[in-house]
Amino acid sequence: MTVFNLYIFDKFGTLLYYTEWNRTKKSGMTKEEEAKLTYGMLYSIKSFVAKISPHDPREGFLYYKTNRYALHYLETPSGLKFVLNTDTAALNVKELLQLMYAKVWVEYVVRDPLWTPGTPVTSELFQTKLDEFIKQSSIFGLRSI
Amino acid sequence: MCEDIVFDCLHAEIVNYCIASNNKHVDLSTLEYIGFTTGYRLIERLTRDAPRFKDELETMKFICTDFWTLIYKKQVDNLRTNNHGTYVVQDKAFRFLTRISTGSQQLEHAPKFVAFTCGLVRGALSNLGINSTVTAEVQSIPACKFHIEVNRN
Repeated sequence: MTVFNLYIFDKFGTLLYYTEWNRTKKSGMTKEEEAKLTYGMLYSIKSFVAKISPHDPREGFLYYKTNRYALHYLETPSGLKFVLNTDTAALNVKELLQLMYAKVWVEYVVRDPLWTPGTPVTSELFQTKLDEFIKQSSIFGLRSI
Repeated sequence: MCEDIVFDCLHAEIVNYCIASNNKHVDLSTLEYIGFTTGYRLIERLTRDAPRFKDELETMKFICTDFWTLIYKKQVDNLRTNNHGTYVVQDKAFRFLTRISTGSQQLEHAPKFVAFTCGLVRGALSNLGINSTVTAEVQSIPACKFHIEVNRN
């Protein structure tokens, strides 16, 4: 099992943070273009899910899966969007994202007085803590054959 | 946990406000003064049940243990003195610096986040009858050293 990459968007669609671990296929466009495309797709899926759902969509869109990878989506009440791509065998990614939001984002970005809300995160401390957090998680590293 | 974040955010905003209102050149005196008045009032409340202090050193010890624990949820890591009115208080993980990245760029911002505490200590000591000058020194985030110079005259 492995983790590919992570996007963090705010409620206006600004890319606040992007990082990757074991990504092999490049999209052939710039990071900004790719982020816009990803956000656009997620936005569409979200409204599609809301319209098509036969019941009240409590949490809305959670994840999708292809043959090769799975995209996990977490939206906080404040509109922050965490998007994590993993391989298809990863379990409990939603809990992992929730924990990352509470333990890493809130602690090292929100409480960093040098970060201005709505701007991309450049804090090295956050980068280190995030890297540690993901590498410690059970879904990182074990490559399924 | 909740009260921690309120204090941290409020402190960060006070710093921003004080810096933004006179952005021509960075002036930390307002910030230091806010700390001074806070410390001056706070010490009354904190020493409510404490007996009178024997000497200066005992007062400093009180600042490093009880006072620090109440505000920063930890004791200072080291207290040194030359026995001639100079004290050096070292905190290896100073609360307002623990969320900031270590780096030379961030180091430039460090003085903003220690000015309030300098005033806080000065105010507290002032109300306990010790006139002093408090300065801070940050060499590597999040460690911080406070130099307390007692004015005798």
